[in-house]
Order: sequence, then C-alpha cells, then structure tokens
Amino acid sequence: MTDQAPIIIIIIPLMFALITPLLGWIRKNLCYPWVLLSITISALSSFIILRTVLLRGVIHYRLGNWDPPWGIEYVIDHLNALMLVIITVISLIVAVYSKKSIQREIPDKIVYFYTIFLLQVTGYLGIVISGDLFNIYVFLEIASLAGYSLIAIGDERAPYASFRYVVMGTIGASFYLLSVGYIYSVTGSLNIADVARLLPDLYNSNVILTALVFMFAGIGIKMAVFPMHAWAPNAYTHAPSAVSALMAPLMTKVAAYLMIRVSFTVFKPEFIIDVISLNSFISWIGAVGVLVGSIFAIAQNNLKKMLSYSVVAQIGYIALGIGLANNYGLTGAVLHIVNEAFTKGCLFLVAGGIVYRLGGCNINDFKNLFRKMPFTMTAFTIGAFSLIGIPPTCGFFSKLYLILGSIEADQWIFVGVLLFSSILNVIYFFRVIQVAAFEKQMPDHSREGPYEAVVIDEVPLTMLIPIQVTALGILLCGIFSTEIISAVIKHVIPVSF
Amino acid sequence: MIDFIIERYNFWIYIILMMIGLYAMITKRNLVKKVIGMNIFQTAIILFYISLASKRGGTLPILEHAHGEENLTVDVSNYINPLPHVLMLTAIVVMVATLGVALAILILIYRKYGTLEEDEILKKMQ
Amino acid sequence: MKIVNLILVLCIGGFLIYGTLDMPGWGDPDSPASKHVSPRYIQKTIEETATPNMVTSILADYRGYDTMGETTVIFTAGMACILLLHGSIRKNRND
Repeated sequence: MTDQAPIIIIIIPLMFALITPLLGWIRKNLCYPWVLLSITISALSSFIILRTVLLRGVIHYRLGNWDPPWGIEYVIDHLNALMLVIITVISLIVAVYSKKSIQREIPDKIVYFYTIFLLQVTGYLGIVISGDLFNIYVFLEIASLAGYSLIAIGDERAPYASFRYVVMGTIGASFYLLSVGYIYSVTGSLNIADVARLLPDLYNSNVILTALVFMFAGIGIKMAVFPMHAWAPNAYTHAPSAVSALMAPLMTKVAAYLMIRVSFTVFKPEFIIDVISLNSFISWIGAVGVLVGSIFAIAQNNLKKMLSYSVVAQIGYIALGIGLANNYGLTGAVLHIVNEAFTKGCLFLVAGGIVYRLGGCNINDFKNLFRKMPFTMTAFTIGAFSLIGIPPTCGFFSKLYLILGSIEADQWIFVGVLLFSSILNVIYFFRVIQVAAFEKQMPDHSREGPYEAVVIDEVPLTMLIPIQVTALGILLCGIFSTEIISAVIKHVIPVSF
Repeated sequence: MIDFIIERYNFWIYIILMMIGLYAMITKRNLVKKVIGMNIFQTAIILFYISLASKRGGTLPILEHAHGEENLTVDVSNYINPLPHVLMLTAIVVMVATLGVALAILILIYRKYGTLEEDEILKKMQ
Repeated sequence: MKIVNLILVLCIGGFLIYGTLDMPGWGDPDSPASKHVSPRYIQKTIEETATPNMVTSILADYRGYDTMGETTVIFTAGMACILLLHGSIRKNRND
C-alpha cells in the first residue's frame, strides 16, 4: 500500500471528482463529506510519502512500468514531498472551511464547485509530483482551467477579472510549452532527469538560452512575479472567498516550486549563475516586486485586494531568495513558501469570514470587529505578525534567512529592501488592526445609555476551526522552523552551494 | 546560406504566426478577437512541434503488414518521429478546452455588460 | 500603446528566431529529437505494444498517463462550462 502512495495521492482526488456530479445528482449534501474524504486520503498518503522520503531518500515511481526517458515517472525528492504535504493540508483546511462560505455566496452551484475544486487540487498535485516536462504542462492546464472558472463565479466583476487571467495564463502556459519544444529539439527528451543529464553539453547554444528565458517568463506569469502580476490582484479579489483562500496560497507557490525546479534541477545552478547570470536579474525583479506590491497594498481599502497585492509582494521575497542562489537565500525561499502558504491561507480565510459576517471587505467598516469576532481577529493578528516578521511566527525566520542570504551575497540593497518592506507591512496591517481594535463606533445618541453593548458574533464553527488551525500552523512552523530546515529543506539545497 | 535559410524558414513562419496571435491577444480591444489571437498563438505552437517531428525521407509512423512477422527489423530513418504528434494531440485538446472555458466566460461577461468591447466594459464598471 | 505592444511582440519574436539559429534543421534525420528517445518507439512498437501505429502506442501505452491528463482537461472544461453557465439561463428566462 505504501508503495502505491504516489499514485493514490493523484488518482483519489481525480476519481472522486469524476463521481462528485453523480453524487450531487442524488443528493447535494453528500458532496461536502465526499470532498473531505478524498482530500483526507490524499493528505494521509502525502504524509506517508514525506516519511518515506525522509527515511529512504528519493522515490521513483514509474507509470505503466516503462523505463524513465520513454515513459513518464514521478520523482519525489524532499522538495516535492514538502510541497505535496503543504498542498494537501491547505486544501483540506479550505475544503472544511468552504461549506458555509459557498452556501452563502454561490448556493446553486455547490455540486459543480466541489467537482472543480477537487480537479484543481489534482492539478496542483500533478504539477508538483511529476518528473516529466510535458506532463507538468498538462496538469498546469488542468489547474489553470479550474482556476479560471472558479474565479469567474465570484462577484459582479469576477468574469472580467477571470478573462484577463485567461489571457495572461494562456500566454504563460504557451511560453512554457514553447520552451519545452525548444528543449526537446536539442535534447530529444522530456524527462527532467534525462534532460538535466543532457543539457550541460549544450549550455553554449542559443536554443537553450531562449528556452530558459521563455520558461522563466511563462512560470513568472503563473507565479505573478512583479512586471507580470497584473492579473493577480483583481482575480483574487473578486473570486469567492473559499476560492481565493485556495488559489492565493497555492497557485503562486506551485509556480514558485516550478521555478526552483527549473533553476536548480533541470538546469544546473552553475548555468544560471555563471553562464548567463540570470539569477541577479531574478532577485532584482523580486526586490522591485516586494516594494511595488507593498506600496500598492497600502493604497487599498478593500481587505481582499490588499491581501492580493501582498501576495505579489511575498512572491517577490521568494523570487529574491531563488535569485540569491546561495545556501541561506534558497533556504529562506523554501521556508517562505511554507510560511506563505499558511499565512496567506489564514489571512484569506479570515477575509472570507469577515465577508460572511459583514457582507463586505471594506476596511473602514471594521470598527469594533475585535469585540465582535475576537477569535477570528486574533488569527488575523497572528497572520499579520507573520507577514511583518515578528517572532515566534514563521515569517521572522524566513525573512531572517533571506537577509542572511543577502548579506552573504554582499547585496546590501536587498537587506534594505527586506527591512523596509517589513515597515510597509506594519503600515498596512496596523491600519486594519487599528480600525478593528481601537476605533470606537460613534455613540448612538438616539438610544438610552452611553455604552452600546457589543455582542460576540463569531463566524460558524466550520469556518472558525480552519482559521484557528492555519494560525496554529503559522506558530508551529515558526517554532519548529529549525527542525523543518534540518530535516527537509537542507536536502533541497544543491550540493554546489 | 541558402541551405541555412531553407532548413529554418518554417520555424520562422511559425514564430511570425505566434507573434500575430500574441499581438492580437495584448492589443485588440474586442474580447472575441483576443480569444482568436489566443487560438492562433496555440495553433502556431502546435505547427512548431509537428515540424520538429519530420525527417527527410521518412513516412507516416505506421508499420504496414507488421502483424505476425517474425524478427521484424524496422529502420528508424524510414519513419518520422511519432512523439511530437502525440504531445500535440494532447495540446490540441488543451487548446480546445481553454477556448471553451474562455467563450463561456465571454458569455457571462456579455450577459453582465451587454457588450464585448473592452473600453465599454471598463466604462460600465466605473 | 499599440506601438509599445508592437515593439514588445517584435522583441519576443526576434528572440525566438535567435533561438532557432542553431536548432537542428528541418527534416534532419540526425537531430537529437530523432536519435535519442524516439527510436525505441519506432523499433519496438510491435514487440512491446503489438500496435503498428506508433502514435497510438505512445498515446495509449508509453505515455498513457499524459492521455489521462488530457481526458481530465476535457472533463474539467466541461464541468467549468456547466459551472459558469448553469443557473444563469434559468434566471434570464424568469426576467
């Protein structure tokens, strides 16, 4: 059974997704437990995989038992295994959360929503687990198609935001496909390990340079790195709350995973660093993205839009860490992926909860929210601390590693950017917390008595528990960050660093 | 020189096609034209892959009268490379699926705003 | 704006053409694509899959997992269209 865990993790959500419409035809209520069951099985097998990888090293799983360059294989090393666990855990949390939120926002589409939800999770898992360049493209498209349609069922402006995402996303995926074609034309192979073996002889060719640049451009669009981020803020703002809580933490992180995979596995780090020195370009883009995203986030009045710009900024951190291309920088980048998945998950879940209670997300309406929803807002504060980088949350440790990496690379400007962006984060989160905690509602003189009693009006339990679990996740990731690094992330770093 | 051009001009034509599609995607103000540009772009990529598969003197990758023959020896250079064709079968399906979803989103947009011109939609959103 | 886009597109196209300059030529029987992985598909298709059509044998056997992904894409697109258009038609009729 444990030998088959790699395929179970993909096939269970896929098969369950096929059956979901039939089940919904019989009874709508069955869909929710059905989705929970499938993602739970998937999550359990991802933990089994992580354990196996930690104990025995890299797993190779051949599909159809064909030898690797001819058939398709799964290659699961420490980075994949970590990503699988993150994806399944976050999507399980969001699935639990989605029940009430979806009933409120899109009541007549529950069955199809859950079908697409499972397919999207399948897409993410398929991208991460696969060891074949073309197979990654196929699953990237599954995840993207599911994402387009899930975003389009949001509020009034959602279809237009989604259409812009379709255009940008298709350009990104097409660039990726094109660069796979370029690589195929000079290596004749699609298997990542095989391509990585063949490429070093070809490092001087134009074809490989073009392929690398277009692959980075394509992944960059999917990842919403700074100059190509235009689709992300609108898409995540107008999507249904549960969808933005699923996509904002995961889609961009899966693309970030792909960028790490392409930079350090498909191409050797020496090529990226020495031959064309693309890495410093990536970290500069990341640094500019951090500043631009944070500044735009300050200007927003809508909480979801503010968080969406914050996604752009945080992706900038990850790109910066990847571009630094040294031990600390990459450690920080991978740790930041873990941290961001939980933090953005937590914050978007809280935003969804506020939408559920207040019917909107305008920051000026948040008065007295700390008294109305104390548990939710506590989780929000923990998430905000993590983004700012206050210990013991995980954000502190990932930023620490990024700063250490910048110092090691002698890039003092990046140190400045990282510290300055923390201040910017303080500004925009403090504004929310200040309105919610300290600004009193104007006393209502028409009523008797000077004080208005504030009734605790928390979100339903199925929403509150996921919010608390993600907040707990942020704290645990912070407290155990050294263990995570020494057990998992240490093995991700290429030997040459 | 002439050989060099003859060996590559098909790639260049596909790249020009791709760029026509890309230009339509990012410049046209009508959303349907954007979708058509998207299709031109993806079709050009498919043509690019298919041209990678060709071999001078090769024929279709189907063996004739192959069943039941013992010790069949097949000369690789007689058959064109079948792998890009397979990849493109998948890519065509992906392209059609993207087109379908994009058009469905356009239907939603048309119902909401009554138009598919980007300028008018942006004006109505204000 | 149109000029900027045109220049951008021309740059991208120029870069792609730069990439093709040392690509193996069209129809080259000695290109890596026809030498490295594909010979096995051509030579062993009968022996390993008993299918004379190599495209079929790769599609359904060697790379069958891709084809599963392909059918999933279709299913996703179908479900996405239902998700997007379901309900709104009925609403329009009631108007």
